[in-house]
Amino acid sequence: MSTDSLLEFARGPLFRLSFAVLVLGLIRILFLDLWGILKAYGKTSDKRMPWQLIRSRSFEWVLPVKRMFRNRHIYSIVSFLFHIGLIAVPIFLFAHINLWKQSVGISWPALPYSWALGLALTTIVLGVAMLISRMVLKPIHLLSKGQDYFWLVLLLIPFTTGFICANLNISAGLYQFLMLVHVLAGDLIFLLIPFSKIAHCVLTPLSQVVGTIGWKFPAGADEAISRITYSDAVEPKPEKG
Amino acid sequence: MNRVKTTKLLLWLFAGFAAAVALNRYIFGLGVTTNLNDQTPWGFWIGFDVMAGVALAAGGFVTTAIFYMIKREEFHPLVKPAVLTAFLGYVAVIVGLLFDLGLPWNIWHMIIYWNPHSPLFEVGWCVMLYTTVLLLEFSPVPLEESSRYAKIRNFLMRFRFPLVLLGIMLSTLHQSSLGTLFLIMPARLYPLWYSHILPIEFFISAVALGLMMVAFETLLSHWLYRREPETELVGKLCKIATWVLGTYFVVKMTDLALTGKIGMIFNGSWLSDLFIVEILISTLIPAALFAVGKLRRNSTAQWIGSAMVIVGLVMNRIDVGGFAMVGGAASYTPSWMEIAISLGIVSAAILVFLLVVEHFHIWEIRPEDPQSLPEVSPSFDYSSRTWLGTPDVSSLATHSLAFVLSFAVGMAALSGKRLHAEGVDSIVVRPATGVDTLCINGNRDNQFVEFPHEAHIAWIKTHAVSLTIDGVIDSISATKEDSCTFCHHFNLPGERLSNCWECHTSMYSRVDFFRHDWHTSARGANLKCDDCHTPGVTRTAESAKQCAACHPAYKFAVNTNLAKPAFYIPSYVDAMHELCVACHKAEVKEVKGKPELALCTSCHKTGTPPELRAGMKWKVSVPHYDNVVLPNVSTVEK
Repeated sequence: MSTDSLLEFARGPLFRLSFAVLVLGLIRILFLDLWGILKAYGKTSDKRMPWQLIRSRSFEWVLPVKRMFRNRHIYSIVSFLFHIGLIAVPIFLFAHINLWKQSVGISWPALPYSWALGLALTTIVLGVAMLISRMVLKPIHLLSKGQDYFWLVLLLIPFTTGFICANLNISAGLYQFLMLVHVLAGDLIFLLIPFSKIAHCVLTPLSQVVGTIGWKFPAGADEAISRITYSDAVEPKPEKG
Repeated sequence: MNRVKTTKLLLWLFAGFAAAVALNRYIFGLGVTTNLNDQTPWGFWIGFDVMAGVALAAGGFVTTAIFYMIKREEFHPLVKPAVLTAFLGYVAVIVGLLFDLGLPWNIWHMIIYWNPHSPLFEVGWCVMLYTTVLLLEFSPVPLEESSRYAKIRNFLMRFRFPLVLLGIMLSTLHQSSLGTLFLIMPARLYPLWYSHILPIEFFISAVALGLMMVAFETLLSHWLYRREPETELVGKLCKIATWVLGTYFVVKMTDLALTGKIGMIFNGSWLSDLFIVEILISTLIPAALFAVGKLRRNSTAQWIGSAMVIVGLVMNRIDVGGFAMVGGAASYTPSWMEIAISLGIVSAAILVFLLVVEHFHIWEIRPEDPQSLPEVSPSFDYSSRTWLGTPDVSSLATHSLAFVLSFAVGMAALSGKRLHAEGVDSIVVRPATGVDTLCINGNRDNQFVEFPHEAHIAWIKTHAVSLTIDGVIDSISATKEDSCTFCHHFNLPGERLSNCWECHTSMYSRVDFFRHDWHTSARGANLKCDDCHTPGVTRTAESAKQCAACHPAYKFAVNTNLAKPAFYIPSYVDAMHELCVACHKAEVKEVKGKPELALCTSCHKTGTPPELRAGMKWKVSVPHYDNVVLPNVSTVEK
């Protein structure tokens, strides 16, 4: 198969497949989560929930501007900026909107070229920085699993290839090849999002509710947990080793 | 193997696949989804979803008639499932119709806009009313779940008998009227199927089909939930069905014999073979099978016989509804998308049936999900090793995943070409013929436009005009000296005045005039991006060089300013209309003897094209082509 026909396949059937999996998969996982929450809430003995607190905390985590300046400032800011580029560039890039317009006829306002360029560059640089810090800094390294490295690398692939294709003057053959990598990586990302940790893009707003209901479920769990944590707080256990 | 779970999984897969196709149908329309055409506007969807769907749901009225009217008390266990099947069947018919109607949002029109002479009007009203009756007949079942609704339930139960009566009446009316629909087309329907008593045949076969559908549904649901099969009761249904099928066969054959068509059965054409197969499957073999008392009470024979009747009579409806139509210019075979949609609707209906059966009091003993029994060991997710939850939660997760994945596969299966299609065949434009008067007939039918080229030249030479065409051309103008370029706005190399059809090569679909992919591909011009696009700006058509920068011979006329650089140029039809109509609206609204020149009939004519007309004058007054020596056309004149 030539690069041309592969590219045609990747941005045709494969894209439709992965995009459908992304959209419906995220709706599905959100629905299942809500369903589980409702079921658990129905079974809790103590129905008093601190809704006000849950709401404010949820907002705080969805837009973590306040959280940024609590601890680990640099990492928080880097991560926040990384997310902005990660979300805004693929959605509001002119070239992507143009594809939508040509195929199904819908369009929305695009980022100006200079903004898209800057955001893409920022995302790539910050992504690389986060990858290095995961490898080098001990506390993060200990917390990281294979998935964390895999996702950073996978997310950087379409950004890098897309950046090269959109801005550098390369030969048509190389362009086609990089575009193929770009589209294939994008398809893979779409396919994996609903089944991996990136599903937090829809589940984050529910995390506080889940935590609070988990605290109340099953019946009597809240007393047990508070007893354990309270005793921990009063008499810290001697460290081992 | 868990039969219920596997079946549901399969049904969810079908439903998901159909959902993707449904999206295609509603976004891009019937043209890209179905193989229907003007000769066969009714195809698989009408034959299967509507005609067969209504007949399959006849079990509701047949069973209620047997139970309430003939007072055969032993059929009580079959009444609730039969009414539920009928109700879901009619809902499925309506949903199916929403796919088939070109303007589905107008489905309510027959409520207000009456056409009492139309059988379809009667069918529509009956289906609407009967669906309501079925809902009222069935609603006591869900209402008995809570004592809160006791009053409504008692109220409905008081009217049960009139409702049943109304149901039987409405069914009789529209089951037969579906046959009446085809009385209008004796020439289209193959004679073996066409009959003056088609309504009666339809009604009798619907009764048989309804009975067998109840039998099949009972057998199937009992097999699914591993319950004791009700062989005795189904046997009784089969006995009744034998009589009905026998009557159907006798009526049909007598009619064929009386109208002298019985010989056609063996004339060897494939439609007559189809007829033989249909009669064998739907009537003769099952009737013979059930005529034997021992076989009638055997559950295997019941399976085979009822399935045969269902397949055979559904075949009959599809045949009448479009398959056995003759005389059409274009042949029709349903596209896979049509079949996928029908399959999806049936799957969804079965899923709702199973859901209702599991949650409401349809059977004497409510079926138990075998997965929720305490002795079943819990299942774990294979990757995270977590418990998947109670069976209802875990099956929800599995089934929704099945739906999502098969939806995605469906999206991938829709071919990109179809998704982008504009619903038209690509027709290469035939050049206009003639000299002073042009005959414009791009698609070679007998409708054409007689274009007085000479008169236009004469007019435009004395006028300075300018025009704006929304979204296509910002401004196009011509001075008196340069008047030709007003219409001939683009020139191919070596030509001063290129013809319309040379660039607008396709009759109805837009033309990729620029071919970007050819310019970038290694097998084409093999250009780098910055060879045409300005670096540092988003690469769009606007930021690219104009064609003339590389192709000096390709020239836009001096006074033409395009609204946007044209990758795609309009089809021949659009190009003609945009230029002619716009100019005749703005500049020349009427000429002597021809008011309202922007109207269709001012230009479009039917009949013999002028080039074929005898005595037509093809005179050249001014040889206005500079570099072409024209033959003296006036010698053709006779």
